Formats: sequence, structure tokens, C-alpha cells
Amino acid sequence: MAKVLIPTPLRQYVEKKDSVEADGATVGEVLAALTGTHPGLRKQIYTEEGKLRSFVNVYLNDEDIRYLDKDKTAVGAADVLSIVPSIAGGTKAGA
Amino acid sequence: MIEISLEPWERMVAHAEATYPNECCGVMLGSVDETGKAVTVALPLDNASAGPQAARYEIRPADLLEADREARRRKLELIGIYHSHPDCDAYFSETDLKNSCPWYSFVVISVQAGRFDHANSWLPDADQTKAEKEELIWPKS
Repeated sequence: MAKVLIPTPLRQYVEKKDSVEADGATVGEVLAALTGTHPGLRKQIYTEEGKLRSFVNVYLNDEDIRYLDKDKTAVGAADVLSIVPSIAGGTKAGA
Repeated sequence: MIEISLEPWERMVAHAEATYPNECCGVMLGSVDETGKAVTVALPLDNASAGPQAARYEIRPADLLEADREARRRKLELIGIYHSHPDCDAYFSETDLKNSCPWYSFVVISVQAGRFDHANSWLPDADQTKAEKEELIWPKS
């Protein structure tokens, strides 16, 4: 069981809650449990092929899971998961 | 519709002008209801783009995570991202679109010769293929 913080625009898919508890021993299991019970959220963070969308990062407390053990990262009861988008841009491509 | 109050608006414009000729970036906090989005706080963030910043910006996910925590501390919601376009119109560029996220309003501030010129707000889609213009209200006086 871990706490997952939900960004404002995604709260509409989780009964308007700002955080949700979900079961699982790893990040992948927690996210699977969360999106299994909230299919609207699943479409927002996963592609149809089941991969996290390119702009979606997942943090375990203060660490990006890409630098831990990715979706196999172990999760404890006191841990907090956050869904954080990548955002960039600019006026010129490749500049 | 997204409406920006005077204090955050002045902070955003000052940030964009101070950062000229480079691009600036930051987040907008406030509230959302059935009538629209109301921005009451702007938080400038570092432009983390590794190369020249005159035509590129990047927000570190860790900074965005901290901004979300700040919003929760203030009992506000993170509702948008802003960045500047130095000596360019406030359009949503192909680079903006390819690096966007469909969850937020994206306010683009055009700075011409170091001074604020105009601004637009955009709502990109989930596939990062197009962005719809959103009505933007700011204090013009």
C-alpha cells in the first residue's frame, strides 16, 4: 500500500481526490492497481500499448524511478508516489 | 478560460522581461471551478535547458514536483505553465507542442525588444499534435 499524489488535472478521474492509496509491493504494481480501478486515469498516463506516456515521470518520494529500479522499484507503506510531467519547449526546433 | 490576477501577472511579465533575450519559464497556481481557471500565484522556475536559452526552455521534473508540493501547502492547484518567446509571437511552436503535456494551460508571453508585447494561452492535446487557443484574461491596466 502506498500513497499516490494526483496532479490537479487528473483528479477528475479519481473522484476528485488529491491523493489515492493503492496496493502493491513495487511501483509497477501500485500503478497497475491504481489505474485498474480508475481506467480514466490509465488513459492519461499510459499509451494504448501499455507504456507510460513520453511526458510522464514517476517519482518515489524525491527520486525519479528511472534512476532507481524503474517499475520494479520496491514501495513501502510510508512511501509517496508522484506523477510528474516533463515539460519543455521553445521557439525553434533543435535550437 | 484562464484569468490571471495582477500580482502573478506582473511577476510573470517581470520575469519574462528580466530573462530577455533568453526564454523564461514558471508555473501558475490558483483555483479551478466551472467558470474557469483563476491564477493567483506565479512561481518562476529555472530554465534548465542545457544549450542556448534564447529559443529553448526546459523545466526540471524535480522543480515541477516541488512546485506541486508548494501548491498543496498553499491549498492551491497547479493549473498552468508559462514561458516566454523573445522577439517572437506568442504562438505554440512545434517544439512547444512536442514537449508539452495535455494536463495544463500553457501561457506564452511574447517579449519584443525586451518589453512585454502580448500573450496567449494554449491547451495541447494528449498526442502532442495540436494545441487549441484558450481564452486568456490578464490585467491590462
